[in-house]
Amino acid sequence: MTALVAGAFGRAEAQDPRIGNRLDAPSRKALSALVDSARAQGIPVEPLMEKVYQGLAMGADGSRIVVAVRSLTVEMANAHRVLGAVATTDELKAAASAVHAGVPAVELGKMKKQSGLRRSLTLPFTVLADIVSRGVPVQTAANAIRSLVGAGAHDRDISEFQRNVQVDIEKGAQPKAAAETRVKGAVTTPAARPEKREQE
Amino acid sequence: MPDWTRTTLELIVQELQQPVRVDESFDRRVMVRVRRMQAERRPRGAAGWVGAAVNLSRRPAYAAALAAGVVAVVTVGMLRSRPQTVAGSEPIPVQFVLVAPEARSVTVVGDFNNWGLGDTALVAENHNGVWSVSAPVPAGVHRYAFLVNGKQWVADPTAPRAAGDDFGQPSSALVVEGTPE
Repeated sequence: MTALVAGAFGRAEAQDPRIGNRLDAPSRKALSALVDSARAQGIPVEPLMEKVYQGLAMGADGSRIVVAVRSLTVEMANAHRVLGAVATTDELKAAASAVHAGVPAVELGKMKKQSGLRRSLTLPFTVLADIVSRGVPVQTAANAIRSLVGAGAHDRDISEFQRNVQVDIEKGAQPKAAAETRVKGAVTTPAARPEKREQE
Repeated sequence: MPDWTRTTLELIVQELQQPVRVDESFDRRVMVRVRRMQAERRPRGAAGWVGAAVNLSRRPAYAAALAAGVVAVVTVGMLRSRPQTVAGSEPIPVQFVLVAPEARSVTVVGDFNNWGLGDTALVAENHNGVWSVSAPVPAGVHRYAFLVNGKQWVADPTAPRAAGDDFGQPSSALVVEGTPE
């Protein structure tokens, strides 16, 4: 449904009850231009439409939704530039979140080059955005995720790393110390459990 | 050359430089599949391209060329395709839980239901404030939040945060892996 709406924003906005007349004309026009611009750059537009829906659900006015969608468009363009055409929509969405959190796009490009084509970085980028938003310094967070990806950690290991860092911070640990400490265990653990790796 | 093009080419070169590893049963599994296709697509006893394929398993050079061809086709496909989410995968049931003893209603709203406010309600029947629902979610990364009593937005305390509160409300991130083929 999102794809259908994104495919013809102008027509769909009049038909889709989630959008309908809940957006003023200038906002509709601005959003239409942003969607067209994203499509022309090869950026997937579904995430932009999801942002519109989110804004409407949360009661934001048109101008605020336009600002959010414009910001997301820029972040996705940055992510697309460094990740290349091989990145999936999900990787771009997750990468845009990390950029939004303050991670330089170039760091994400380094991770992609390090991990290769086959490794999806959707979850690593999601965790990166999360721990940065919890106060882990950007460079510490980026180093931690790069270490995990470089060590061959699987998504479940990186999820566990995120949960541990979150719990440590909620218990009062310094975010930087929590990330630096937990990554040591997470990096050494995968190699210590080869039988688990083979089952995945 | 644009950065993204250079990155893409570097990744492709890196991928092509990886050795192609096949296990010992590879030939046997390929031929089982080929013979099954032959049985399904052609009348019994018919000769054709499948006969030539039988020889591939006995000639490593052909097998290597075939493997390289597969890599090349996949690579070209990636170059030509626009970014996509996991295609063809069925939505996967995901359990959402929120502990809210004082709540009168809880719904989960997110990318997976196009932020429809009343689409996915949680229930707390006989669970003393532990609200939960199992909802089908497509593979991919999703942003979502709980809506308590129809007015209060709450992030999932057990999930990663979604970066940025663009609309002044918290939200969470969910990554659903595709089902293996």
